Amino acid sequence: VTAEPTRRALLAASAALPLVAAAGCKGVGALAAPPAQAADVGMLKEAIAAEELMIARYQAVLAAPHRAHGLAVVLETLLAEHRAHLAQLRSRLIVPAGAATASSSPPPKGPGEHSGSGTHSVPGGQAVPSRPAAAIAFLRAAEQHASDVLLSQLRIAPASLAQLLASISASEATHAAILAPGGQHG
Amino acid sequence: MTASAWSRAAAGHDADARRLASPPRGQLRSALESALAAEHAASYGYGVVGAHLTGAEQAAATRDWIAHQEARDALEAMLTSLGAQPQAAATAYRLPRPVLTAHDAVALAVLLEDRVATAYLSLVAVSNPAVRHFGALRLRAAALSAAFWRGTTVAFPGLPADVLGRPPKV
Repeated sequence: VTAEPTRRALLAASAALPLVAAAGCKGVGALAAPPAQAADVGMLKEAIAAEELMIARYQAVLAAPHRAHGLAVVLETLLAEHRAHLAQLRSRLIVPAGAATASSSPPPKGPGEHSGSGTHSVPGGQAVPSRPAAAIAFLRAAEQHASDVLLSQLRIAPASLAQLLASISASEATHAAILAPGGQHG
Repeated sequence: MTASAWSRAAAGHDADARRLASPPRGQLRSALESALAAEHAASYGYGVVGAHLTGAEQAAATRDWIAHQEARDALEAMLTSLGAQPQAAATAYRLPRPVLTAHDAVALAVLLEDRVATAYLSLVAVSNPAVRHFGALRLRAAALSAAFWRGTTVAFPGLPADVLGRPPKV
């Protein structure tokens, strides 16, 4: 990941979120760690962009005409958890005064902004399927993918950020499970 | 019996959360030992859980029980490879509350998974990439099982709310 020097952000990871579980981490030393490498900031920004995209997907599905389907309440709950993820990730990104915005990604476009024939789209041009079952499958696949991506990224993250990414990855895996046709558990 | 073992590994979540957020006392080995203690407690606890369930729920409990035993074995192997002697399980563990009904059993399963999830978060903080990945995978598995038993999801599996440092959501 190449950094943009003019948009350098500082990672507030260690200070904002004490390391959970004492064992195996650098602890107090980590609090005094130097500002994160640009790669860490890039990782955080990627995670923020991924959450923003996920929120846009849920909003698009919920805004579709078929939203009367029985899962609307579940979808709202999962959406709220994604908003919590996003807030937590954003709280760890400190941008120096005068710098550009914290997020490297453009703000998500409103749901249905590009609504075409029976589909809604989200940033990135992905179309949200119009059939309820297909829309749920779409969200489920997106959740699983997001969970897997975080799992691969946390290998090289600083310890405290790795814990947050691992927790969010686990949460997204449970979202995928709850959206599965038969329910959950795997 | 061995109340301390239970409370160390599986009970007193709030107290644990405060302790976990405090400065560390060890290295990779302590993180593995904490996870092992949680898995020992879970393996014991699921025996109780399964005994109070029937049908599909009992089958699910059995599946989780086996998964925790396998994770326990993996942790023991990791500790052995570090030259450490893995701590054996306690003979018995005091349950946080009596388990008399299927409802109690499901509540215990949720508790066990939450404790295990938090214990694995300590593995995610170690620098060894393989151990970190193992911790993240097991955290995910615990979150999936917890969601199954709870019937709902949570935003931050394994992370105590006070560690997140944000006001509770209304």
